[in-house]
Amino acid sequence: MPTEPLPHTCTFCGCLCDDLVIRAEDGRVVEVLGACALGRSRLIGIETTPGAAPPCRVDGTEANAEKAVLAAARILSRSKAPLIVGLRQTTNEGTRQAVALADRIGAAIEVGDAATAWPRIAAMQRSGSIGATLGEVKARADVIVFWGCDPATTHPRHFERDSLVGRDGRRTIVMDSGETDTSRRADAFLAVDPDRELNLLLTLRALVREVPLDPHRVEAATGHPLSALLELAETLQGARYGTWFQGASAGRGPARLGEARRQAVTALVRDLAAKTRFVALGPGEAGNAHGAEGVLAWQTGFAPGADLGPGFPESWPGDSSAADRLARGLFDAVLVIGGPAPAIPDGKPWIFLGDPEDEAFARATVSLPAGEPGIDDSGTFTRVDGVSLPVRALRPARTPGAGEWLSRVNAAIERASP
Amino acid sequence: MSSLLIKGGRIVDPANGVDGTADVWIRDGSVVAPPADPDARADRTIDARGYVVMPGGVDVHSHVAGSKVNAARIMRPEERRDAHAMRRWRDFRSGTIGSVPSSFATGYLYAGLGYTTAVDAAIPPLGARAAHAEFGDVPMIDKAMLVLMGNNHLVMEAVKSKDRAAVERTVAWLLESTRGFGVKAVNPGGVEQWKQGGARIAGWDDPVDGFDVSPREIVQALAEAVDALGLPHPLHLHGLNLGIAGNWETTLDGMKALEGRRVHMAHVQFHSYGGSPDAPADFGAQVGPLAEFVNTHPGITVDVGQVMFGDTTSTTADGPTGHYLANLTGRKWYNHDVEQEDGCGVSPIEYRDRNFVHAIQWAAGLEWFLRVDDPWRVALSTDHPNGASFRAYPDVIALLMDRNFRNETLARLPEKARERTGLKDLTREYTLSEIAVVTRAGPARILGLTHKGHLGPGADGDVTIYAPDDDRRRMFALPRWVVKGGEVVVDDGELRAASIGRSLFADVGVDPAARATLSARLGEAASFHPANFGLRLEDLCDPLGVGTGRRP
Repeated sequence: MPTEPLPHTCTFCGCLCDDLVIRAEDGRVVEVLGACALGRSRLIGIETTPGAAPPCRVDGTEANAEKAVLAAARILSRSKAPLIVGLRQTTNEGTRQAVALADRIGAAIEVGDAATAWPRIAAMQRSGSIGATLGEVKARADVIVFWGCDPATTHPRHFERDSLVGRDGRRTIVMDSGETDTSRRADAFLAVDPDRELNLLLTLRALVREVPLDPHRVEAATGHPLSALLELAETLQGARYGTWFQGASAGRGPARLGEARRQAVTALVRDLAAKTRFVALGPGEAGNAHGAEGVLAWQTGFAPGADLGPGFPESWPGDSSAADRLARGLFDAVLVIGGPAPAIPDGKPWIFLGDPEDEAFARATVSLPAGEPGIDDSGTFTRVDGVSLPVRALRPARTPGAGEWLSRVNAAIERASP
Repeated sequence: MSSLLIKGGRIVDPANGVDGTADVWIRDGSVVAPPADPDARADRTIDARGYVVMPGGVDVHSHVAGSKVNAARIMRPEERRDAHAMRRWRDFRSGTIGSVPSSFATGYLYAGLGYTTAVDAAIPPLGARAAHAEFGDVPMIDKAMLVLMGNNHLVMEAVKSKDRAAVERTVAWLLESTRGFGVKAVNPGGVEQWKQGGARIAGWDDPVDGFDVSPREIVQALAEAVDALGLPHPLHLHGLNLGIAGNWETTLDGMKALEGRRVHMAHVQFHSYGGSPDAPADFGAQVGPLAEFVNTHPGITVDVGQVMFGDTTSTTADGPTGHYLANLTGRKWYNHDVEQEDGCGVSPIEYRDRNFVHAIQWAAGLEWFLRVDDPWRVALSTDHPNGASFRAYPDVIALLMDRNFRNETLARLPEKARERTGLKDLTREYTLSEIAVVTRAGPARILGLTHKGHLGPGADGDVTIYAPDDDRRRMFALPRWVVKGGEVVVDDGELRAASIGRSLFADVGVDPAARATLSARLGEAASFHPANFGLRLEDLCDPLGVGTGRRP
């Protein structure tokens, strides 16, 4: 194994750049070689020396770890309808503990952003998905579409690391509601009315399937002349290895159509894949929601949420969602793992396990300070394309990571149960 | 540590030539010779009089972890709702079943069938980190993974150089980095060619674009490297043209291409079809000539990949086959290309007994079991979940042991299908001892796991105790006791203890200079830092290295 210092993995955006070199002087990070502006601004200045553990909180006052773990265990073991939410920035190891806890207490558990994750998974469950690792895109793609996403802004190193925009004669097409930093670097830009995204996707699919279309109806439905869309369809079909990048909602249009849009993209890509190679994927959500989904799926069979209340995992879209139960008041206790924490009505006990600087830390009934992955905690994160990478702490841990806290809470509940 | 005595059972231990009444002593997790003192007592004694005692089952080819298995879970909620669940109970975790059970359920269900070891047969190098993590949540059984190398860019570059040592170094480095147990090739060269969008590879001498190698050269080089490194398990080969009419000739050519080198032919049933792609009506089983070749070539072993009728999920590292199958059924399709090596295709499939092709596939699998003379060279598998779930193993065993049961099923099949297989003429019935061979002793020997698949001193204390029953399905579906590493994990038919099981890997040595060179080469093309590729032992759950280099 290499003797040189291991590279640092940045968890700020979905790129999960794992090739950074941290320079520390006088107990602080002073430079991050290889990082983008977003990563640098997050990491520079972080203290790298050992420090005091931030205190836990119980009922608004500071408490020691033992007392706080017992208080959390008490809330969860008394609960008849517990929820576990968050897990956007938790290591896979931490999520394994979270699902174990959910299984023990019969919680409804949900990972990541429910509003975008459920439609994405539901579309996959209806149509499948056709994707690749980012390295395949880097090595093979010759036509790249950015659909309703702007990685130049949100994923600064995406072009350099993954899609290699502007290199090797790659052709880049941006379809979005307006010009973006990404579109300004692309070979072609097509303005897409967010309310007519689905029409455009279905029209492109019809053209790829060589269905004769009426030019007037096409223009009315999409806002674009048939000739322009034909040319676009030709470009897509002419790819040797096409790649369709889309954001978390598969477009900018109404959220309620997110699932339909994603299914339409999958169907279009499947039709293109009948003629050439074509894949679709996202540039990746920030943090580790993809890893958490994977862990939840392997342990329960379901993603992005499962209700373990019945004593076994169930997952019914619209019914098993923890976020939905939170909104409808169908719970009596909540464990929030990592911010941002949702609004929780007064009178219902809840636990926050995460950054002591997060506003939720002062708000929760019980707060446990979890070391952040990549700073105090080490473990594994999984990229949007399923590639799992080590995330390493950059200083001696000041406080345990979420996995360690969850394992303590789990053990306390086990000790207390008859 | 504790001791266990399994007293007075009918020991069926074909590896040691035993079929008769005896005692089995287990101490500190391993089988030991009976103590000299006739009055010696164990901490626990199981009265096995009247029961059948076998080593724990060993699955040489299954898909239990990794990204395609998990994609199959996520994509198919419809088969894991309602009653298809395992409840949380004591220290046992809850889970769901379907064709691809959740991780804890996978371990419990395998152990519940008396299996104590399962090998995942297709992990891309880049997927090893996730798959090992998942192994940590598959309890009760020992796990190992075969690492995909048949379309690996660095392997193909080494093959092209015609430098045997370079191939060996690359294989060793990939195995060490992934903590893999063995080497797998899937549609060698053909997946890479498909990913490039090139002309389909259909024969062993078709060139792989950009690499200037052929499937023949790839498998020869890999098989040689496996033997030179002294890996316990031979090259594990999923050949060309899986599932395609007329593929039996390609399969025969593939076995010949190895030119006498050791090879294990995976899910060989899927590679044994007559007819031609242009004339689907001519489809048929062509097991006879292939089995005859195996019978006369001792270096070749197979697992069957038995198809059983019902709903399941096709999950393959063979991307083009996954694409073909999804288009054939028109059902949902998950595809995921993985950089530098394969990827996967996942799609639901229902095998129906009224379907001409499916009926022939079912019969072809059974033909394989019945036509290979030496049961040590044919392992029982359904290629879980591709042909069926591993949960169907007791049904497969019943079909092998009972000709009437076979013929009853055969009678239900389309007449045209019955005529296109030789199954109706095969009267052989497996003995209990032969079942012990194809479900544990044989697979353990094929894997080169000398501490598994038998009950002699030094063997793992993995034992399954069945109540004899004329209903073979019931007998093998519900073992009375299962012992894992000396611990009674199924006691009186109920799961009792959820030990985690070990992660087996091949302990290969890699020259540090070769490691540095290959790592740098990987870094040139990869989407990740090469320092993050290799796994440390701490990344494995209860790792156990298996020695290499002992073979000539």
